[in-house]
This record gives sequence, C-alpha cells and structure tokens, in this order.
Amino acid sequence: MTEPAPAIRVDDLKKTFAFGFLRRKVQAVRGVSFEVRPGEIFGFVGPNGAGKTTTIKMLMGLIFPSGGSCELLGRRVPDVHAKRRVGFLPETPYFYEHLSGREFLHLCGRLFDLPADERRARADRLLEEVGLAGAASRPLRKYSKGMLQRLGLAQALINDPELVVLDEPMSGLDPIGRKEIRDLIGGLRARGKTVFFSTHILADVELLCDRCAIIVGGAIRDVGPLEKLLSPKLLHTEVVIERDGHAEERRLPPGDDVQAFLREALAAGGRVVSVTPVREHLEDLFVREVEADKARQ
Amino acid sequence: MNRVVAIAINTFREAIREKLLAVILVFACGLIAASFGVGKLSLHEELRVIRDLGLGGISLFSKVLAVVAGVNLVYKEIERKTLYAFIPKPIHRWQFIVGKYLGLVVTLTAQMALMSGVLALTLLAQDAAPDGALVRALVLLWAEALVVTAVAVFFSTFSTPLLSGIFTAGIIGIGRSTPELHALITSQLKDVPGLQTTLDWATQLVPDLHLFYVSGSMVGGKWVTVNAGDFISWSYVAGASGYGALYAACVLALAMAIFARRDFV
Ligand SMILES: Nc1ncnc2c1ncn2[C@@H]1O[C@H](COP(=O)(O)OP(=O)(O)OP(=O)(O)O)[C@@H](O)[C@H]1O
Ligand SMILES: [Mg+2]
Repeated sequence: MTEPAPAIRVDDLKKTFAFGFLRRKVQAVRGVSFEVRPGEIFGFVGPNGAGKTTTIKMLMGLIFPSGGSCELLGRRVPDVHAKRRVGFLPETPYFYEHLSGREFLHLCGRLFDLPADERRARADRLLEEVGLAGAASRPLRKYSKGMLQRLGLAQALINDPELVVLDEPMSGLDPIGRKEIRDLIGGLRARGKTVFFSTHILADVELLCDRCAIIVGGAIRDVGPLEKLLSPKLLHTEVVIERDGHAEERRLPPGDDVQAFLREALAAGGRVVSVTPVREHLEDLFVREVEADKARQ
Repeated sequence: MNRVVAIAINTFREAIREKLLAVILVFACGLIAASFGVGKLSLHEELRVIRDLGLGGISLFSKVLAVVAGVNLVYKEIERKTLYAFIPKPIHRWQFIVGKYLGLVVTLTAQMALMSGVLALTLLAQDAAPDGALVRALVLLWAEALVVTAVAVFFSTFSTPLLSGIFTAGIIGIGRSTPELHALITSQLKDVPGLQTTLDWATQLVPDLHLFYVSGSMVGGKWVTVNAGDFISWSYVAGASGYGALYAACVLALAMAIFARRDFV
C-alpha cells in the first residue's frame, strides 16, 4: 500500500513583498518547507511578523509565491478540487456587513454546491456549535470581534472539510471561548480530520498539537513532535522555603544535591513549602529560537 | 454556474441594503417625478419636458449608480478582506468577477426599472402613456449603463474607488463626445497623417457611448428625436446593444485577467 499524500506539503516556499513608492523589498518568507500528515493536529508557531499569515495565504491561493511550491491534499495550489475538501479561517474574518450570520453560512454552503436542506442542517448545527444560535439573524456589522471569529470558524467547517486551516483561531476569544474552540478542534481530530493552525499562544500548542513547526523571521527553525523539540533535561529545581514568616525562593541548578539543601534548610528551622523540578517549556524553546535569530542578524 | 449565481445574488442583496445607493435612487425618482411640475411651467410642452427630463435623469442617475457601485465592487472586497473567505472556496477567480458583475447588472436593472416606472407614472399623470420610442430610448440607456458598469469594475480591480471613479467619468465624457472628437481630429490634424491615425485608434478604445443617447442628434444622416414620429428602430437598438455587450465582455475579460494575477495582501 502506498503512503497517503500529505495533507499539506510546502517546499522551499518564498515570498518577497515590494511596498511603497520605492518598491522596498521585504522577505517575509525565506524558503519554508514542511509536511502535515493526514489526521494530525499541526501547530504553526512563531512571534508576530514571523511569516505565518504570509505562508498560509500562499497555501490558500490568496497570494502567489515568489519561489517554491505548495500542495494541499496532494494537489498543487490553486486547485478547485482540493479546495472542495478544505476549510479556511482567515486571520481577520470580516464578512459582508449587511448579511446575517445564517445568510452568510448559506452563501458559503452555496459556493460548495450543497443542496438547500443540507445547507440548512449544517448552518443550524454549526451556529449551535460555535455558540451563535441566538445571534444567527443579526447583521454581521453588529457582531463583536469574538462573534465574527466564531462565525469564521463555522464557515470554515460548512463543507465538512478533511483539512482545516486556521489562522490564529483563538484570537479575540475570551477564556471560555478559547476552551470551546480547543474542544472543537479536539472533536475534529476525533473525527479523523487534519487541522493546521497558526498561533503565538504557546499553551494552545502544548494542549492540542501532535506536531508543530516553529517559524522565526520567515524561516523554519524546528519541526517535530513537541516532546522532541523540547529538550527533556532538567533546567533547574525550584524550592520555596518559609523562614520567620516569609517565603524565600531558590533555584538549584541541575547538578546540585536537592536532598542535602532541604536537610540543611529544615535544620535551620525553615519549612518546605514546595519543590518543583522545572523542565523546558515551549516558551523557553521559543525564546531560545527568537534570541538565536536576533544573534544571527 | 451555481456558484456564480450565488455570488451574483449576494452582490444584489448587499447592494439593495446599501444606504448610499438607496438615497441616490430615491433622489433620482424624486427628480424624475418633479418633471411634472416643470412641465406645467412650459406652455403646451408638458409631455416633451417630462420625456426629456425623465430620460436625462435616468441617463445621469443610472450612470451615477453604476459608477458608485462598480468602483467599489472589487476594491471594497479586498479592503475589507471579505475576499479572504471566498478565494479559498472552490471557485475560480474569474467566476468571482462574473458573479459580481452579474449581481450589479441585476441591481442596476431593478433600479432603472424603478426609475422608468416613476417616469411612466408621471406621464400617466399628464394623461399620456409611454410609447415605443420611449421604451427604445430606455433600453439603450440600460445597455449604456451596463457598459459603464463594466468599465468601472475593470478599474476597480487595480485602483482605488476615487481614481476608478475619475477614470470612469473621463471615459464616459470622452465616449459621449466621440463624433465631436472625430470631427476635431479630422479637421485640425489632417496635415499630420500619422498622428491622426493614432488618435483615431485611441478613440476606438473608448466605448462609443454616443450610440446610446441619440435623441436630438443625427443618426445615419437623419435627425431623430424621441418626441417625434420616426425615432430609431428596434434594429438600431439591437445593433447598439450588441456593440455594448461586446465592449463590456472585452473589458470584463481584461478585468478577470488582472484579478487572476493579483496578490490579495
Ligand atoms: N503586504 C505586505 N507588504 C509588505 N510587507 C508585508 C506585507 N504583508 C506582510 N508583510 C511583512 O511580512 C512579514 C510577515 O508577516 P505575517 O503577517 O506573515 O506575520 P505573522 O507571522 O502572521 O504575524 P502575526 O503573528 O502578527 O499575525 C512581516 O515582517 C510583515 O511586515
Ligand atoms: Mg498573522
């Protein structure tokens, strides 16, 4: 049996923007390559201005690459057949202000050639799922930012896509909303869908992703499962001791004898409040990469 | 095809909910109806005044509506990023332009039908009925408005609404005065044959909008007016509309070619 085509394949993708009167050049994406396998949740992580949105726009056929190539579901972008099986949430979901949420979902359903009863059923179910059932007939110009974001997610799912591409799905959402969206993405995974999303919120990546790519300054720094990207070694041990009514925090480097330190502290009349071994988090990795990038410049 | 229709329906729906367009339309209808009052001021020329003012008003306002809606059509989609949700859907980029244009055609047809209805009512109030000549004049104006819309949409694929509006107005101005331009070029530049042919060709690029507003001018060596017996025939209307359709199709093809290559940043 042959291996299934990757859901997304990006090969040495490049984009240079020219802007302003002098056509000054900005290299937003400098030769990015990665693959997203069918059925996985893939995080695309990077700081502001790293080139996440630019890469995603090339994937979606909104802008044309200056170099390299990309494929969706085994077909070179842009391809109408692949587009049928893909859902997309743009970074700034602004829709037609005179339409209501339900009308907009119906319009999207029509663009996928869904029959009327199917459109109605899916629109109602999705409005329910993203928590907009009560606002379905309000015009979109009266939606809040978070409500537009939710509607954006609903329209991305109207065709029951195999692959969902989300540009910052959590932005503009309150903590409850973020949890709901996380659950929704988890639900997509359970149904065998592939999810590719960009974010700079590291907690979301740690909670959701099977694998992720880290992009800094338009170039990929790392791709892989989170456990592999994070170095498993102990960074330090954080010990909090209470003495004479006030707490004191100490960070013991990996080589230190924690037991001996605790015995000493107890003998001196202290009380042990907590002992925490600290391993690398995604955030540390992120900071490390961004700093390495700065050092290179 | 379903998808093009879906985009067209949506364009129509957006346009009829747009306040600016509604205000222009109400204003236009008011002015056309006011020709009844103006007609009363003239001595026994009521019908002629109502017909001339009515047609003039519909000619002017159909173009205003076409330009205002047309120059915003694509630009606004890019500016508001509403396009971002559509381009990734299973449509080709050119289908988007076709759908948007058809939506505007439907909108404009409805708006012109409404203005024509007001004109017909005004005539009825004057104990007259719209006749065949008036209908032919209206059909010509409709064809002209569709050409103007195509030109506005074309500019809107690569330029801001203000510039597109100025360009389109310029094209309307030149297009309406093709006979004068032609006469000017032949009389003033007959000694410089190279320049004359170049300018002649340049005027060919601009739509000959003069074809669509013929009342009170010479057509084929004959003086025609919408208020007298022998106005232009239906076959003239068909010919002019055919020319308009061809011109609009060419301009739209260019618009699609530009739109297909654009980055939506
Ligand atoms: N239209 C454009 N013209 C010029 N430069 C651009 C354009 N769009 C993006 N850039 C530049 O490309 C770089 C990458 O931008 P991009 O929007 O892809 O970042 P991002 O990773 O999505 O950031 P964020 O997390 O803030 O959304 C930035 O330096 C940005 O200034
Ligand atoms: Mg972005």
